[in-house]
Amino acid sequence: MAGFGKEMTKMLIEVSTIGMTVSFSIFIGVGFGYYLDTHVFDGRTKPWFTLIFLGFGVAAAFLNLYRMATRKDIGDGKE
Amino acid sequence: MEHPILFISVLLEALHLPVPHGLVGDSLLAKLVSPHMTYTWLVMAFLIIMPKLTIGKVEMVPGKAQNFWEAVISGMEGFMAENMGKEGARMMFPMLATFAFYILVANMIGLMPGFMSPTSNLNITLGCTLIVFFTTHILGFKFHGINYYKHFLGPVWWLTPLIAPIEIISHLARILSLSIRLFGNIMAKETLLGILFILAGAYFAPLPILVLGVFVSIVQALVFVLLSILYFSASMEHAH
Repeated sequence: MAGFGKEMTKMLIEVSTIGMTVSFSIFIGVGFGYYLDTHVFDGRTKPWFTLIFLGFGVAAAFLNLYRMATRKDIGDGKE
Repeated sequence: MEHPILFISVLLEALHLPVPHGLVGDSLLAKLVSPHMTYTWLVMAFLIIMPKLTIGKVEMVPGKAQNFWEAVISGMEGFMAENMGKEGARMMFPMLATFAFYILVANMIGLMPGFMSPTSNLNITLGCTLIVFFTTHILGFKFHGINYYKHFLGPVWWLTPLIAPIEIISHLARILSLSIRLFGNIMAKETLLGILFILAGAYFAPLPILVLGVFVSIVQALVFVLLSILYFSASMEHAH
């Protein structure tokens, strides 16, 4: 990628992961919670672990977003 | 499902081997001769034989081929040293360079008719990604000792029950995003090329997609290696 800048390429690649990370975090959270509900506790705790781990997944997604947004080395005016 | 003619599969079928028509076969032998395995071996053979043929024996004054390989290797090492330091680059270079060459050649080989990309099968990319994932954490334990687990506990102790699942989920999301990105891009390329060949192959309709395929192959190999480098260097640096 000549003329595009190595730093720019690296940042683009890093930032491009964020969309997938958000969606997969939520899916992993829901999937694990659903597994706990149906297979570990045999449906006795039916909606609760799914909901709790959905919350964890969303929190993980937003934590990743927050970390990416507050990083020191992106947008510090370096050419 | 319709599938293109793959010449290794045709050869193996002529030898009466049970080449599966789906993605993965039933018996062990069928698994071993399924297309993504045979083409992985083709790529491996290519990567082993090709440098042997071009370099031969290493000389003090490099010839044309040796110059080329030296430029490639030193370029990659410089790229890694920029991102993870000289020491880390020297330690991880063999593995990451293998990934880079393997994924690049495996992506590119699918552009030729009669070949397929092994990376268009999720099992292959998931295997590569699991290697990266476990290496990341082994490196973490190697550099920080047993204290590496504190990376997962967050800044203050009373936040631990909240932060720990979140960190684990985001580490697991890395496996999925790394493997599915490579798999998805390459499978999309392969499928699109196959459909365009069937629809209008005689009118050169797949040509623009072939050009894009070269671009996608290079970019995805670069992305995979760069993200592995970033994960490795994140697990080697000090806890924040």
